[in-house]
Amino acid sequence: MLNIKKIFRKQNNQIEPNSENSYFDNFLLELGGLSHFTLQFFRELFRPPFEHREFLRQAYKIGLSTLPLIGITAFIMGLVLTLQSKPVMAEFGAESWLPGMVSVSIVREIGPVITALICAGKIGSGIGAELGSMRVTEQIDAMEVSGTNPVNYLVVTRVLATTFMIPILVVYADFISFYGSYVAINLHDYMSLRLFVNLAFDPLHYFDLIPATIKTFFFGFAIGLIGCYKGYFSENGTEGVGKAANSAVVISSLVIFIIDLIAVQLAELSSKFFV
Amino acid sequence: MIAENNISNLSIKESVIEIKNLKKAFNGNTILKDINLNVKKSENVVVLGKSGIGKSVLIKCIIGLIQQDSGSLKVFGKEVSEMNKKELNTLRTKVGFIFQGNALYDSMTVRENLEFPLRRNKIHKNSIDIEGLIVEALESVNLLDAIDKMPSELSGGMKKRIGVARTLILKPEIILYDEPTTGLDPLTSREISNLILEIQTKSKASSIIITHDLNCAKLASNRMLILHSGEFYAEGSFNELKNSDDEFVRAFFKTE
Repeated sequence: MLNIKKIFRKQNNQIEPNSENSYFDNFLLELGGLSHFTLQFFRELFRPPFEHREFLRQAYKIGLSTLPLIGITAFIMGLVLTLQSKPVMAEFGAESWLPGMVSVSIVREIGPVITALICAGKIGSGIGAELGSMRVTEQIDAMEVSGTNPVNYLVVTRVLATTFMIPILVVYADFISFYGSYVAINLHDYMSLRLFVNLAFDPLHYFDLIPATIKTFFFGFAIGLIGCYKGYFSENGTEGVGKAANSAVVISSLVIFIIDLIAVQLAELSSKFFV
Repeated sequence: MIAENNISNLSIKESVIEIKNLKKAFNGNTILKDINLNVKKSENVVVLGKSGIGKSVLIKCIIGLIQQDSGSLKVFGKEVSEMNKKELNTLRTKVGFIFQGNALYDSMTVRENLEFPLRRNKIHKNSIDIEGLIVEALESVNLLDAIDKMPSELSGGMKKRIGVARTLILKPEIILYDEPTTGLDPLTSREISNLILEIQTKSKASSIIITHDLNCAKLASNRMLILHSGEFYAEGSFNELKNSDDEFVRAFFKTE
């Protein structure tokens, strides 16, 4: 039978979901462990000392390391989406709607989700592996035995950094995608940049922008928190570090889709309520 | 044998660590069965034992990294398992722990490694005070030149000494050494053993040293204990144990 106390003993790194438990038990243990870790994060968030320097260092690292990858992916995303949609739009004689359709798709859905998935792969696995190797080389224990709280220093700074950096990266990816779309349209035809901007931004409303932006904060929070959780409780040496990095990517990708699903439903409900 | 001469003085001193009937098991596998130990002020106690016997578990229990299943474990007269987070953190500033693998923060320079516990515990707010303490700690391990180096640029022996310096910077009253000379060449091992002895003489700190290195044990111990099957099997000075009638105890000294 599942011992719920195990979940709370996990903070001492003594209990891990294992093969003796059923899948459902392991799922509950993971969920309980993650919930407890989230509570710990919020407790430490408001507890001094505040590590501004480490937060900025992490934000800079996260932003800089993903910028080229997101830039290239976003450019191709805008370009391909436009090239694929163009013949269909032309068939309906609605080619002039192409920039608008691409911008709505990118801003509402494709931009945030694709950027978050790239970040889950690059940043989530990085955090999982970094904290995992700190755990197996006893660096986290060393922080604890020197009387400092590792959650405050390692987890709070990283989760805040991802929470604030992912929305910025999404906005950056959206603009690069627009540029990709503009290039795609101009590959065979000609459209001035001013006209493209007008056509692209005309169908965008606050109800497209606001929910799409809000959900990116949750994406960032989930990527940071899951990466930290998997790394912080990693064990079994280097094999455990690999597993931590891998499961950080898998779980955060899944959570991104779940958050997206909830965000879309909530946006739909709120648009009916307010408009 | 400088260290052995101090044994008679130690008997009248107060205990800083008192362990009674301590038990610890992992997944039903009992590692520590019945541990009883008293460590006096300024005493260096060496714990010998086979690999995987639970020596590191014992010192991790003392610092509160692992919680015992039953028994009493008092440090400075206070039960560790009953301490709240704040009390445990205060205790940890008084008890230093030197890890087997050094556990230096590899994303920080040597200076930042030493600065970290001071800054986080707000022991010294003044940056000039902090700098002074860092220099003092590095001078005590003869590694002031390495102040701006990254851990990856240091040799095994240097890393070990930086680990000692990081522990010393908080001026602990108890130091727990987890295999301090493992993986080091004989010369560096001797340097570390001398350093342990020097720390005891200078700072009057009590120590528990987990080691397989008999030279280190000989040089640094006031008292030695052999851990076997979850209990302390034998106790005495280096020479007493070396000349013991018990075959199992003598087996530890056969390489000597």
